Amino acid sequence: MKNTADSVYLDFNATAPTSVEVQKFVEKFIKISGSWGNPSSIHWASRVPKLEIREAHKNIAKVLGCAPLEVIFTSGGSESNASILRSVFDAVFLEKSMGEKCEFITSCVEHPSVLKSFKYFESLGAKVHYISVNRQGQLDLEQYRKLLSNRTALVSIMWANNETGVIHPIKQLCALAHQAGALFHTDAVQTLGKFEINLHDSQVDFASFSGHKFYALKGIGVLYSRKGSRFHPLILGGGQERHRRGGTENVLGLASFAEMSKQRSKITEQAQRLEILRDHFEARVLAEIPSVTVTAKESLRLANTSSLVLSGVDGETLLMALDLRGFAVSTGAACSSGNPEPSPVLLSMGLTRQEAQNSLRVSLGWCTSLEEIEKFIDVLKEVVLRLRSFGDMQEIEV
Amino acid sequence: MSYKKPKVLVAMSGGVDSSVAAALLVEQGYDVVGATMQVWDYSSCDIDEGNGTCCSSLDVDDARAIADKLNIPFYVLNCEAKFKATVIDPFLKSYLDGQTPLPCVNCNTYLKFDHLIRKMKELGCDYLATGHYAQIQKNSRDEDCIATSTDDWKDQTYFLFTIEPEIIKHLIFPIGHLKKPQVREMAEKYELINARKKDSTGICFVGNQGYANFIQANVDPEVLKSKAGWLKRYPSGEKMAPHAGIHQFTYGQSKGLGMDHHEKLFVFKIDPVDNTVWLADEKYLFKSELDVVDPHWLSGVDEGERLNVKIRYSHKSTPAQIFKTEKGFRLTFDEPQRAVTPGQAAVLYRNKELVGGGWIL
Repeated sequence: MKNTADSVYLDFNATAPTSVEVQKFVEKFIKISGSWGNPSSIHWASRVPKLEIREAHKNIAKVLGCAPLEVIFTSGGSESNASILRSVFDAVFLEKSMGEKCEFITSCVEHPSVLKSFKYFESLGAKVHYISVNRQGQLDLEQYRKLLSNRTALVSIMWANNETGVIHPIKQLCALAHQAGALFHTDAVQTLGKFEINLHDSQVDFASFSGHKFYALKGIGVLYSRKGSRFHPLILGGGQERHRRGGTENVLGLASFAEMSKQRSKITEQAQRLEILRDHFEARVLAEIPSVTVTAKESLRLANTSSLVLSGVDGETLLMALDLRGFAVSTGAACSSGNPEPSPVLLSMGLTRQEAQNSLRVSLGWCTSLEEIEKFIDVLKEVVLRLRSFGDMQEIEV
Repeated sequence: MSYKKPKVLVAMSGGVDSSVAAALLVEQGYDVVGATMQVWDYSSCDIDEGNGTCCSSLDVDDARAIADKLNIPFYVLNCEAKFKATVIDPFLKSYLDGQTPLPCVNCNTYLKFDHLIRKMKELGCDYLATGHYAQIQKNSRDEDCIATSTDDWKDQTYFLFTIEPEIIKHLIFPIGHLKKPQVREMAEKYELINARKKDSTGICFVGNQGYANFIQANVDPEVLKSKAGWLKRYPSGEKMAPHAGIHQFTYGQSKGLGMDHHEKLFVFKIDPVDNTVWLADEKYLFKSELDVVDPHWLSGVDEGERLNVKIRYSHKSTPAQIFKTEKGFRLTFDEPQRAVTPGQAAVLYRNKELVGGGWIL
């Protein structure tokens, strides 16, 4: 199905259209003589890509608030998460270089790329603790304090949740982990372009980022490893990224990421604009559509994200009906689309299966306009009304 | 005034029939939305196994490719839980009760013509189309009715007798007036990738493994063990050999009985109470009447009316008289019929019109 001119994209937490700056940059870059070269070569064709990689480390480090050499390029957020978790797991269980420290702490609202790694470690005998969240998506800090001990090797907690937008107090969580002598990793994939972060100030040991959630290209991610942290690469190979990630660099991808990093001030302004749009969206929806709640409304949230529960409306059907009208939204994480199981994130917040199945996620981005939001609310009202007119569908319990 | 195209939801299995159905609807100017029901978890199947049967995961990819080619929106509807509850579980139970189930009817009853009708309305569509070999025509009372396909050999109305009459006005069978070779020609004409894909035969979720293996893989071994019993000769009652479970037999079966015997014998009756599988000479397989329960009507019938009846999908219809009973109806055939099988349907036709049907007791 081709996109039509009047289609509206409101699923920026899944992925984002590349920014105008990135589009222009890519077009220009691929025409530069030797931009396609292998950066590891000695000859002339390596010079442009070598320069790009060096500059990219610098520009991205500025946005992340860290040093250029602490930035390691990967293929994306999932690889960054997997690499970091695996590196610490190996240190504990294979190299046995962490002494008594053999336990992990994470939260039950993490991205599958984190949760599945931990499930795998559990299958190999590791002890993993999961911090629960309340109805507002906030972590149980009391439980976290109790779980931390001198046996904790690593804590991994996302900076902001992709489904609800809830922002976790990373600096505080990291300080507590460090007091217990544990390492701290944060999956920060949803942060860039939505609020300012500073890795040095937060003190985290490891962090993960993804290019395509930040209006850059797909297939590029960043793994932040604080200077002095022990990191063992997941992918061995050539000496790329100072022997921390084998494989010829994705030069175009990392350069597009760096290009976005240069737009930092613009992006911050954008975030303020998105928050105004998002708040307007929620206010109108709550006023004009009956039986709607905003999930985690009381929490500190990403400026662009709104997660709704529209009672009596099957989320999957709502998505299709909205798609037929040209609107792209989601029920939860894009990785789980096609999966009828309600979102584990919403369930762990204490929403019922029914509420989770009645959920809708709207996430805004750089090109979202007020006009699009107004149009979307009008159509959402109409579609919700129609779906509700057919009454509840009998759900078959699995 | 602007003309709004009628909107139709087309059920696409990835096979050639529903693909051509979708292509015809696009050509006829409908606003078409494609959907595939994912009905079974194929994650445990290897790639070759799923290939070629209706609705396997690769077929979903084919359906999506056809939808892309036709430039229509396409969705995968996850129906695994509903399919398990309304099709798979009754299928397994039926075999364990000594019957021969007909899962395609349940799939039509609970999924295609219930779940999809609901989705049709929810997505704002006016019609639901499928690739069935069946037609919508006017009957003698000038009402819309379901009529048999032009292709006698492919006709699928046998599986449609549980459709509610009030939804007929929402149904379109775009290929029901065509014969299979014409459908394939059209697939070639529209350059659909599956034009030469082989026909799906048998039961979609069973695949090439055979139904006995499917039952083995999906039923508790203890339950299966409790279905073992004896093969006995009818009418003498002579014990001929032990068997490992009544679910391995179907009425009229003569091959694979698991014993050596000099005469050709047929499964005559399966008794789920003591697990006896009765074997008999072929002459005992013929019956001149049968009882039907849980009837469903698309049109009224008169007591004693002579209708054409099909007692299995591959059966050539035969005339019978119908008489109402407490739980359904009794059919009296003009000619005795071979291997009347409990669990299968008796489906009734007035000329080409599908009148109704019920389950053979």
